Amino acid sequence: MKWMATCREATELASRAMDERLPLSSRMALRLHLAICRNCAQFSAQLQEMRRLFREETAADDDAAGLAPEARQRIETELQKKLGS
Amino acid sequence: MEALDARTWLADHGDYLFRVARRQLHSDELAEDAVQETLLAALSAQARYAGDASPRTWLTGILKHKIVDLIRRNVREVEIPRDEDGKEAVDSLFRQDGHWAEPLRPWGNPQAEAEMSQLRRVLDDCADRLKPVMAQVFSLREVAGMETEEICKELNITPTNCWVLLHRARLFMRACLELNGFSKAGAA
Repeated sequence: MKWMATCREATELASRAMDERLPLSSRMALRLHLAICRNCAQFSAQLQEMRRLFREETAADDDAAGLAPEARQRIETELQKKLGS
Repeated sequence: MEALDARTWLADHGDYLFRVARRQLHSDELAEDAVQETLLAALSAQARYAGDASPRTWLTGILKHKIVDLIRRNVREVEIPRDEDGKEAVDSLFRQDGHWAEPLRPWGNPQAEAEMSQLRRVLDDCADRLKPVMAQVFSLREVAGMETEEICKELNITPTNCWVLLHRARLFMRACLELNGFSKAGAA
């Protein structure tokens, strides 16, 4: 890797860092870039924020649409079939 | 130990299971299938319910497996995107020299319940607009919290493909949230 990662490369590293531990050289390149680039520092923080939001909201009840009545009826019928058998 | 009563599952947990599934499968139909398969499987497995988790937690555990099953079956029918797919969208975010094309705006910090529920809708809408395979890999990682290695193995895609999908999905999601007013300037 060049001595300085571009924003495009830095976002790839920041993304990968969400999934696995980066090799030392990549970690250094990322850290160096984030220290001087506000956009990429923002990007990196937003990836973490997005993950937090997604994991948090799935756990809780929310106002997203529930099962459609027809689907509920269909599932009920299948369950009854199995319960009765 | 809480007794299991299969007759109340659908009424008590149907909507909840559906929402969890919908958020990861990005399709009403698949999510309905996931709920049905979960309840049918739970019915057969009732005897193994140990009672150390609430019925909802127990059912959600079964649902997670069903979701992965459904995605796996679904992915088999879809060609995993090659390099062309989504590359243009990524290219448009950066200048030729690798710098961001547009400065990133900071996100607001929604506190009020109304703001939170609006944000949830935007998150779901943006995720639904990803390409199906991308949306599902993204959700397995970011919503369900599965490890990338596990996802690659389950879906039988190479780690490189998996990682490219995840990265493009993240770039898209971030841009989509910003476009939909989830930034300080837009949310005010």
